Amino acid sequence: MVDKSHPINIVVGDGAAIPVKKDKGLVNAWSISFFGAIGCIIYLCLSDPDMYWEVLKFLPDGILVTFQVTIFSIMLSLVIGLFTGLGRISDNKIINTIASTYVEVVRGIPLLVQLFYIYYALGRFKYLQISELPSAIIAMGVCYGAYMGEVFRAGIASIDKGQGEAARSLGFNKTQTMFMVILPQAWKTILPPVGNEFIALLKDSSLVSILAVADILRRGREFASVTFSYFETYTMVALVYLVITLMLSKAVSKMEERLNYYEGY
Amino acid sequence: MKATDAIIQIKDVYKYFGQLCALDNINLDIVPGEKVVVIGPSGSGKSTMLRAINRLEEINKGQIIIDGKDINDKDNDINAIRQELGMVFQSFNLFPHKTVLGNLMMAPMKLKKLSKDQAEKVAMELLHKVGISEKAHAYPKMLSGGQQQRVAIARALAMTPKIMLFDEPTSALDPEMIGEVLDVMVNLAKEGMTMVCVTHEMGFAREVADKVIFMDKGKIIETGTPEHFFNAPEHDRTKLFLSQIL
Repeated sequence: MVDKSHPINIVVGDGAAIPVKKDKGLVNAWSISFFGAIGCIIYLCLSDPDMYWEVLKFLPDGILVTFQVTIFSIMLSLVIGLFTGLGRISDNKIINTIASTYVEVVRGIPLLVQLFYIYYALGRFKYLQISELPSAIIAMGVCYGAYMGEVFRAGIASIDKGQGEAARSLGFNKTQTMFMVILPQAWKTILPPVGNEFIALLKDSSLVSILAVADILRRGREFASVTFSYFETYTMVALVYLVITLMLSKAVSKMEERLNYYEGY
Repeated sequence: MKATDAIIQIKDVYKYFGQLCALDNINLDIVPGEKVVVIGPSGSGKSTMLRAINRLEEINKGQIIIDGKDINDKDNDINAIRQELGMVFQSFNLFPHKTVLGNLMMAPMKLKKLSKDQAEKVAMELLHKVGISEKAHAYPKMLSGGQQQRVAIARALAMTPKIMLFDEPTSALDPEMIGEVLDVMVNLAKEGMTMVCVTHEMGFAREVADKVIFMDKGKIIETGTPEHFFNAPEHDRTKLFLSQIL
């Protein structure tokens, strides 16, 4: 019988570093970065409130937009990723080829170029003119959908073949087997890399500032272009991103621990 | 006996894995209530034959007819046919994300449209029958191998199949747990269930089998009653195999 107590770990690059379980002590890379960043923000705001505090007050609207873009993009990418992952494992040659080609094409084009393409290039056609925010969400969702597809494919592949056979032999059809038996188990393998992708996507969402979507970076640019205080502004922008991603990476590692806890069922 | 009496008809079946001929001209009729035990060395095709009966393996040539329906005919709904065929696997294959009760209730509720109460009633009766009702709310990982396999049998029975297929049900078990699973199977046989069982348990074959089939290299070498089989096997290959395992 296959030992399922150690599920296959999926490593997907470019997420924030997720704290290793061994870093249990109070002083570790995560706490130094996190409390260091918070400390810096507080110190800077107290030492030069006219400048740093003003920047910080200007950013919250941008934080909301960044989260908006990230959350909608990740939802879109999950839907696309599920279908791509299913397509990639499909026995149907045509579906399989379509899904694989999509992954190849999307992974071969830089995200920034995809953003430009959807907003500017496709904007040339009357019915494909989409405003900034939806363009940004579609571009990021389509791009990350390809990566998410690989996450789903690996998660589904990590489930023992016998599970599918047992379900089919009871009389479940392919779709029922996938959604009632395979995917509920695959979630445990899929969720941690999805959390990782979420963090990566949040960082990449700074690219949408180029389409004049008012995210954190864009708000910073607006502030800097009026005050000409580039150093202070971008220092604050970087610190805000850092604090957000560190909080998220902590949340992902907590989630991983919980999943491991449920491992014993 | 007319051929039409048979609930399982296997006619001229061939199955290839690449160059390897896993099933080589298999012909077999099984009538309702009959208990068939399939034995043979590993790689002889016995599991492949069993899995072909509910189309977990696609055959390359021939016909398999279950209760009058050709399972490889596109017009027949294989999912409906499979509901008539309970299958028990060597590695149990219980759903780890569901409780024991959940494992038993899932298929009847979804496929037979039983209400939750009805499904639970059926499930509890079956768990009682396999002697494991106290574990109804446990998850499969908490159970021993023997308990898991008994739950797996109950799960298959929950769909009230006409035929039960067993694919080496005791091979993955610790020796002290084999008895409890065989007991359940013997009781099932006494109730008149049609059973096809791939196993190495010769004691079980002696006790319940109406027909013992010996397979080797994808062929059915010898078929007979247990008495014939264990006392006076005809073929040298059968004699050799029996001398090795008995």
